[in-house]
Amino acid sequence: MKYKDYYETLGLPRSATQDEIKQAYRKLARKYHPDVSKMADAESRFKEINEANEVLKDPEKRAAYDQMGSNWRAGQEFQPPPNWDAGFEFRSGGASPFGSGGPFAGGEGFDASDFFETLFGRRGTGGAGRRRGSVAGEDHHAKVLIDLGDAYRGAERTITLRAPVEGPDGRIALQERTLDVHIPKGIRPGQHLRLAGQGNAGSDGGRAGDLYLEIAFNPHPLFRVDGADVYVELPLAPWEAALGATVDVPTPEGTVQLTVPKGSAAGRKLRLKGRGLPGKNPGDLYAVLTIVVPKAETDAQRAAFEDLAKAYPNFQSRAHLQQ
Amino acid sequence: MNQRTISSALRGSVVEEDVELTTVELCRACQTSEQQIELWVFEGVLQPRGTSRESWRFSGDSLARMRLATRLTRDLELNTPGVALALDLLDRIAELESRLAR
Repeated sequence: MKYKDYYETLGLPRSATQDEIKQAYRKLARKYHPDVSKMADAESRFKEINEANEVLKDPEKRAAYDQMGSNWRAGQEFQPPPNWDAGFEFRSGGASPFGSGGPFAGGEGFDASDFFETLFGRRGTGGAGRRRGSVAGEDHHAKVLIDLGDAYRGAERTITLRAPVEGPDGRIALQERTLDVHIPKGIRPGQHLRLAGQGNAGSDGGRAGDLYLEIAFNPHPLFRVDGADVYVELPLAPWEAALGATVDVPTPEGTVQLTVPKGSAAGRKLRLKGRGLPGKNPGDLYAVLTIVVPKAETDAQRAAFEDLAKAYPNFQSRAHLQQ
Repeated sequence: MNQRTISSALRGSVVEEDVELTTVELCRACQTSEQQIELWVFEGVLQPRGTSRESWRFSGDSLARMRLATRLTRDLELNTPGVALALDLLDRIAELESRLAR
């Protein structure tokens, strides 16, 4: 297990006041919140910031953390000293000291690191503590990554979920379960599948919660998805764009032939109606034209470009730059 | 012989297309309170069908929107109008990015 320097994570000296901690956390949280930030490592950074804040904002946890000393360096191999938490209260009661949000795959709240869990215990499900009578199970959320082709054809996925389960001794343990799920044809990125009764079990006869699966697509080397529409880049030779041509276009359902009208400019979008994602309102597939200029390497090729230039004595490629 | 295997895989419904959520379902799915949902409705963040609180029905899109609002409220300690503004701005960014990519 590696030591985590929570002060370093928030960019603060160990002498920081509680107000400074709050300020630093808020600033970094706004910067790295995965719903807001476009940075590639936003999610992992945000988790670290959140974890650091969970410890440092709480005077008692902070005091216990500080007590381990300031000689540790981030990333250093670490074992907590025996009885390091003697005299502190945060472990007692069994209930989670944190807010709501469950520790499931796909993540809500924050996924505590091993370092955090060793020191402060595992995060519970939130709203823990014993309730009387039948209680409905919580809804469960997870993210499922599929390929574009799965959305065109429908697919089956085996997913593994981790759910917190309270044992007879009142301790919370994570239990794994696997489910085979049918991914319906035509599903779009960002949509959710609801599986009734597949969330957390209820207690004392309460109904089980539902399972919500958020669908995300693996990036595809050729196709880009926007809602139900799919875009593919279609490179053309200059003469194909000028004279028109019939070319093969890849689609997620296989290659189709497309007629490029003569006089097509780069950036022109040719629509293949109904060849986007299927569904009640199927999307369209757009071939976005680009023009590739071949290299002039042989004498004959150079001569061909020179002839082209001669054929267009008045061609003004930069007319729009003239003032 | 033509033998068909019937898959035992679970079939769910696509929330955004086939589902309307009640206030209670939305609360459970987003782990939030009915009072908070009411605040979102009065702020215009959610626009349910139906006239009274009991008869409110939320479109499937409300799920993702509400979960996003809940995360922003919790993680950034924003108030309701602040979250409403952030959601509007995120919508605009998404729309501009999608236009830019086309």
